[in-house]
Amino acid sequence: MTQRRKWTAIPGLVVLAAGAVILSAYSGASSSQHRSPVQPINFPHPVHVQKLGMNCLYCHFSANKSPDPGLPAVSTCIGCHNLVGPQRPATDLGPARTSAELQKLYKFADVAGMGAGMGPKAKPIPWVRIHKVPEYVHFPHMRHVNAGVTCQTCHGQIQNMDRVYQFSSLNMGWCVSCHVNGYSAKEGLEAAGYTAQQQATPAAAGAVAPADVQSGERKKARYDCANCHY
Amino acid sequence: MSEKTGGGVKRREFLKVVGASSAALATAACAAEDTGKLIPYLVSPDQTVPGVSTYYATTCRECAAACGLIAETRDGRAIKLEGNPDHPLNHGALCARGQAGLQGLYNPDRFRTPMVKEGDAWKAIALDDAINRLSQAVAQGRGAAGNAVFLNQHESGSFPRFLDSWLAAFGMPAHLSVDAEADAAAMEANRRTYGVSWPSLDFKAAKLIVSFGADFLDGWGASVPQQLNYAEARAQLDAAPRFVYIGPRRSLTGLNADEWIACNPGSELAIANALAGKGSIQDAATASGADAAALQRIATELSAAKPALVLSGVTGDNALDVALAVAAINQASGAVGTTILSAQPITSFDGMSRTDQVLAAVERMRAKQVGVAFVRGVNPAHSLPRAAKFAEAFANVPVRVSFSSYPDETTELCTLIIPDLHSLESWGDAEPVRGTISLQQPTMDPVFAGTMGTADVLLAVAKKDAANAAKFAATDYRTWLFSTLPGGDKAIAAALPKGIMAGSLGARTTTVAAAPTAAPKAPAIAATQGDFFLVTYPSPVLGEGRGANKPWLQELPDPVTKIAWSSWVELHPETAQRLGVDRGDIVEVKTAQGTVRAPALPYLGIHKNAIAIPLGQGHRSAAQMATFQPKNHDPSNVQWGYGRYARALGVQALDLLPLGTDGAGGLVLTSTKASISKTGDHRTLPSTEGSARQHGRGIAQAINAADLNNPERPEHEEIPGDANHAFLPGMRSPVAADAQGELGSPTSANQGILKGMYDPADSRGMTKRRWAMTIDLARCTGCSACVTACYAENNIPTVGAYWQNASIWADERPGFNIERGREMNWLRLERYFEGNLDGKFGVDFETRFVPMLCQHCGNAPCEPVCPVYATYHAPDGLNVQVYNRCVGTRYCSNNCPYKVRYFNWFGYGESDRKQYAFPEPLNWQLNPDVTVRGKGVMEKCTFCVQRVREAENRAALEHRDVRPDEFTTACAQACPSRAITFGDAADPNWSVTQVARDRRAYHVFEELNTYTAVVYLKKVNHPAAGAAAPRG
Repeated sequence: MTQRRKWTAIPGLVVLAAGAVILSAYSGASSSQHRSPVQPINFPHPVHVQKLGMNCLYCHFSANKSPDPGLPAVSTCIGCHNLVGPQRPATDLGPARTSAELQKLYKFADVAGMGAGMGPKAKPIPWVRIHKVPEYVHFPHMRHVNAGVTCQTCHGQIQNMDRVYQFSSLNMGWCVSCHVNGYSAKEGLEAAGYTAQQQATPAAAGAVAPADVQSGERKKARYDCANCHY
Repeated sequence: MSEKTGGGVKRREFLKVVGASSAALATAACAAEDTGKLIPYLVSPDQTVPGVSTYYATTCRECAAACGLIAETRDGRAIKLEGNPDHPLNHGALCARGQAGLQGLYNPDRFRTPMVKEGDAWKAIALDDAINRLSQAVAQGRGAAGNAVFLNQHESGSFPRFLDSWLAAFGMPAHLSVDAEADAAAMEANRRTYGVSWPSLDFKAAKLIVSFGADFLDGWGASVPQQLNYAEARAQLDAAPRFVYIGPRRSLTGLNADEWIACNPGSELAIANALAGKGSIQDAATASGADAAALQRIATELSAAKPALVLSGVTGDNALDVALAVAAINQASGAVGTTILSAQPITSFDGMSRTDQVLAAVERMRAKQVGVAFVRGVNPAHSLPRAAKFAEAFANVPVRVSFSSYPDETTELCTLIIPDLHSLESWGDAEPVRGTISLQQPTMDPVFAGTMGTADVLLAVAKKDAANAAKFAATDYRTWLFSTLPGGDKAIAAALPKGIMAGSLGARTTTVAAAPTAAPKAPAIAATQGDFFLVTYPSPVLGEGRGANKPWLQELPDPVTKIAWSSWVELHPETAQRLGVDRGDIVEVKTAQGTVRAPALPYLGIHKNAIAIPLGQGHRSAAQMATFQPKNHDPSNVQWGYGRYARALGVQALDLLPLGTDGAGGLVLTSTKASISKTGDHRTLPSTEGSARQHGRGIAQAINAADLNNPERPEHEEIPGDANHAFLPGMRSPVAADAQGELGSPTSANQGILKGMYDPADSRGMTKRRWAMTIDLARCTGCSACVTACYAENNIPTVGAYWQNASIWADERPGFNIERGREMNWLRLERYFEGNLDGKFGVDFETRFVPMLCQHCGNAPCEPVCPVYATYHAPDGLNVQVYNRCVGTRYCSNNCPYKVRYFNWFGYGESDRKQYAFPEPLNWQLNPDVTVRGKGVMEKCTFCVQRVREAENRAALEHRDVRPDEFTTACAQACPSRAITFGDAADPNWSVTQVARDRRAYHVFEELNTYTAVVYLKKVNHPAAGAAAPRG
């Protein structure tokens, strides 16, 4: 090889190899964290959760009963939006406008007009999945929800997301470190966005007792492989 | 680069290019996984929580018994069948054929739509079109009585009554209710003697059980309730009744007997008379070839045993005479009311037609007297011998309608197919015992939208008919059924969750009134030509053929011979030696009716003057079929010959039989002699057994009943090896912590250090439980229901189909992967013979069945050898296999002394590979709680860890601890012998803790120090007085 080519080729290969190693070692290149796909309808969580005060479990109804968190049926949306149509009057939620997203919803649900209900040609909305763990992982939502883990601990502050993105890496290491190190109610409430003052008041903190928050007790969980991999 | 050495790529340059491109590819491959879409419901179904199973009680229709089912459904799909604990017949147990009902529901060869024959081709048509055509066909059939024939699969319940009312409305005669496996002679004798066609049998109350070829554990009568009761009888250990089996062939039931009297077919009558004291023992001995002293001893035992239970299931021409003689023995022995419970009959078999009635209908077809024929759930083109010439007669009927779901032989001969719904998709009922109605309800929406319940089709046809529209006004069969069941809608709705309700549908007699006169009588077997008596018998797994299209049942090794995906000819080792025939040599069996060729199998349990061929295989298509291509398969390309799994597999032994019925009108299966000749060909029989003998390994241990209470025997034998560790009382194995050696021992100086997840003081409580299992060999009958239940629960692939071999240089024959030892059964039934090592005829032998599964060893040889820690010991006692870590070195399987680890040699779980074991819609059955394994991954029994987690999760949701015996493994749940107990051996409240302390307890290969979590209880033998069963 010529001197010149040696000085180009060899460092080039070293750089490429180093790049591959770093990327794969941290799985940053293959991680779906921060991914925010475009959804068929740009469902605004802030409006529904913050402004209207809807609980996560209203739509994701089986998160406290089943490994599967549950996706709202189209009829859940139509339950309100049958009457809350695309022609929005001026309210405290915004000025008078035509909502393109609600028009999309009406198209999917084959709603002829406000109050008409779902039509015969209704089709389910093909949401793009964001959070997915591999099929060899069995993740039971209800165990976590019932252990007091706030939704936002893993899913981030969805109530503030105009478009949902994947907040956590969902890596096994991330799961295991919480199981090993434990989870405290205080952390959960912080993740949910409660300020320290809010955490101290029973009403704001919801179902979590302030005593639990103050004690700082860490709930630990099983971490051996057969807990999730079977 | 230098050009000194001439052209071509230099080695260094090659390596540089390869290195650079690999590095580049590694980065290019790093993209986020495509996560797919989430599709919501339009309207959430009521009472369904996604991800949580919903259970529906229904009735099993895989045989005529009509046991109760609980169908587990997930997200609208039935994924597992279990027995209904409240059902009076099966009490929560379920046999292998019942488990395999799911593969009938999701069979890839099911008809998707109705079809009509146009010329030589079949055309798919819409349901409306099919109903119109059926209306026209029915118009042709009405008029003169006898002008139509409806052959329906025998079922208990309201449908036969509905069918007859429909037929009568159209001027057609009542239907024939056909069950190809029923024992007509036994039922006729029962009716004449006890007044019912099938009394309940109480083996527990008997002091002696004698069976003349009645295989009550594997297909004769209602196997599951009979097996439940028989196992209870044997569980009485030293108080259990002895069991003697008399017959030319030792079936699975025969292998469970304490003694086998091998006799010539047809001589059972002489023996029965001798035992009753009506004939001489010497005559019986001469006729049968049996030992006179043995017969005398049994006669003496029988006269002393009050009550006894004597059963007859012979299939010769004198079947009725034997059954009547046997019934007389029962009466004399005081059996009626004690072991023969005629006051509590199994009414499922009432109203069954006889084969001679079916043959008479066939003769009417042949005489061109039948205008339209209907077939539903029966396959006479396969289940009648070729000598009946069914196909020729059937062709004379101008309109032939089939309601079958599968492309079987009879359906191929039809002109119109309107596929019925599967029993798991439709409404119905049954009355298995008098006074209790077993309800059948759909467990899911129909798999194929183009199928329709036959009852609903008939209703639609009736509504089109002006004369009958008013009579059949119900909107659908469900409405009709609900209006006739006692109690009305409210009572039915209240009863549906349990699946049974009190009430009766009324007595049912045989539907066809007149006994036909021209029934062909079977010739006396002695008059036929041949060197050997030919015994044909329904397979305990496949029946007379209906199970052959279900891969679980094809893959399930025959409980007696341990052969799968094959037919065989059984002959005695002495005979084989005399003829110079080895195992696997293809022999030609010839009778006056035909010849078949099948591999020979030397088997200790066949009379030396007889050969035996199982029924069930030998399905074939009339049309020439191309080789099945799994990857290019188009569902509209119908797999005639009963589907891809059954077609052209094995031999149809009925081809060899002359047509003949016995005195009760049943088909005679042992009716001819045959001759054998060698062909010179050979094929390896696909078998899962390594050896039929234990060779001193002590895997299946037994103890004589007399020794059970012998004070000389030690209560607990010492386990050899290191005894430093604390043992859980009864389990005789240490907790998992001790598997970590010195560090884990409670007396170790290093307490609390480096214990990690095995620390008993850890707040997580991971070490609280010690999952363990006991298997009672005194109860296990070898039926293999547990094996199929495990397949269903754990997504275990079947590997024996002929296209599941390698992609290149493959031997495409069924069972090839089994020949190579690639079967995947996490739980297998090992069958060992004891005694008669030389294979001499006339020397009795004992059989021991051992369910063998991962022993979840406390000191597992497989754990330390995995280079990637894919297998480890969980703190609660399970040996865990982590599929995603496994790289497929197979060192673990190499090290396992029990050989219970199974490797995915091919991509059985990958849908894009040709070896895929779950072609659509079989993959609908897959359990979502269990990972489907891909190629290159090791798998093994997990003690149903998904059920463990489910129970723990449910308990956590309800803020309580898991209750003792709250759940169990799939195998334990299915077992009709109740041989398997599973639970937490660290908690004295669980049953398994008590059972593991039994005096008969032992571990397999204890001397290897594996500290298994599976405890076996020794089989209890009852040798004949004066004889000793083999010890060991």
